[in-house]
Amino acid sequence: MIRVRGVHKYFGNLHVLRGVDLDVAKAEVLCIVGPSGSGKSTLLRCINLLIQPDKGDIFLEDVRVTAPEVRPEWVRQHVGMVFQSFNLFAHLNALKNVMIGLTRVKKMPKEEARRKAVFELERVGLADKLDAFPAQLSGGQQQRVAIARSLAMGPKVMLFDEPTSALDPEFIREVLDVMSKLADEGMTMIVVTHEMGFAKGVADAVAFFDEGRILEAGSPSDIFERPGHERTKAFVSKILG
Amino acid sequence: MAVGALGALLAFGILILIGSRGVYNLDYAYSIVNGLGLGLRLTLTFVAVVVPVGFLVGFLMGWARTSRSWFVRGLGTTYVEFFRSMPPIVLIFFFALIASLVFRRYLFVENPIGFALGMGVLALALHSGSYQAEIIRAGILSVPTGQTEAAEAIGLGRGQTMLFVTLPQAFRVSLPALGNEFASVIKDTSLINILGALELSLWGQLLTVDALSVDFNLVFIIWVEIALLYFAITFTVTRGIRALENRFKVPGLEAAEL
Repeated sequence: MIRVRGVHKYFGNLHVLRGVDLDVAKAEVLCIVGPSGSGKSTLLRCINLLIQPDKGDIFLEDVRVTAPEVRPEWVRQHVGMVFQSFNLFAHLNALKNVMIGLTRVKKMPKEEARRKAVFELERVGLADKLDAFPAQLSGGQQQRVAIARSLAMGPKVMLFDEPTSALDPEFIREVLDVMSKLADEGMTMIVVTHEMGFAKGVADAVAFFDEGRILEAGSPSDIFERPGHERTKAFVSKILG
Repeated sequence: MAVGALGALLAFGILILIGSRGVYNLDYAYSIVNGLGLGLRLTLTFVAVVVPVGFLVGFLMGWARTSRSWFVRGLGTTYVEFFRSMPPIVLIFFFALIASLVFRRYLFVENPIGFALGMGVLALALHSGSYQAEIIRAGILSVPTGQTEAAEAIGLGRGQTMLFVTLPQAFRVSLPALGNEFASVIKDTSLINILGALELSLWGQLLTVDALSVDFNLVFIIWVEIALLYFAITFTVTRGIRALENRFKVPGLEAAEL
């Protein structure tokens, strides 16, 4: 579904991604763990072309999305993304946050977009919050609206960039539950997270990311119980306490 | 709102009392209404041009200042720095002088006073626009970049993101400050009278000269009436802005109370 080959990214003199290779199969859930500042978020942003890689290629199914003739807007419709800080549109209520992509990008008629948006919000358990503005929702609810907004576009892959890091502890569960349900339904997902419980329980594969590259990857038990690299060991023992 | 209006009227009442020292010459007050009405009409015309033109230019230039292109950004910055640094009275004079020169010498218009006046009005609009550009720029920058990123992540193009995500929020955030600037420039239209335009305040000056030779107290009557008229215009416009604020009010994006 997603193939990443030899991707490099520089920010000025900073070499953020140092040759990343990655494969995610259809319906697979890949969790990326690693110290902050190691380039995980940059990698996700390269996959949906919010950031253009400097070198290397990214494939979505059989399309080389790094090819110059591919429109980034097209890629982003097929690769959903959920951010750490939710980033809901503050002037629109929950319903309209989900509808805007349908009406403006997919040019769906308003009534149809409305039905679809209501359906997606029901899916994340927010059928009673259609008219609420972002400021009136808890962090967990905002993040679920953000997930619904992404899902409404009918993505083939969902990227999650530390979706629970900005949440108060009591709201983490509800977001992770929505994500687990999504994984069960067969969504292909790449999740950057520090939630080891989620990685252990839901991920098919875990990649340990450090200093701009994937140091090692394997099944959750490989990485958490039998890490091969010293760095992975150090990180895992720190995280699992 | 009602309290604000009442308070202002009360203040005027006190002014009238002090000014007339108990003697308010109603006949005189009526006799100058016609002249002031003519002045008012010209002032309203100035307002009707300066406010929308200033807003339009300010909006475009404020937007330009947030552009990715250094050329467009430079254009906006040059405009703002130039017009903001000039006293409006100098700009009005300069624009009018240049207009008369160009129209008389190169376009052979015998009496270019109309064009000169028009350019003077434009100068004031551009001056106000430079302030409004900064208000708009601040409004645009107040929208978190995360939202632009999220908009692009669902496939909205750059123009769509600006139109449907950034500007609606920038507009809400900017409204109170824009109202403030409108209130300010409405009163600055009196500066255009250096070109001889018989607007409200120049009428006041002419009437004052006549009144002084009759009775000093009449001067108060003139200026209280003028003050009331300026108040009425400004109050109407700022109330209109407030109505817009309420119309587009969104929880979490409320403009700070003024």
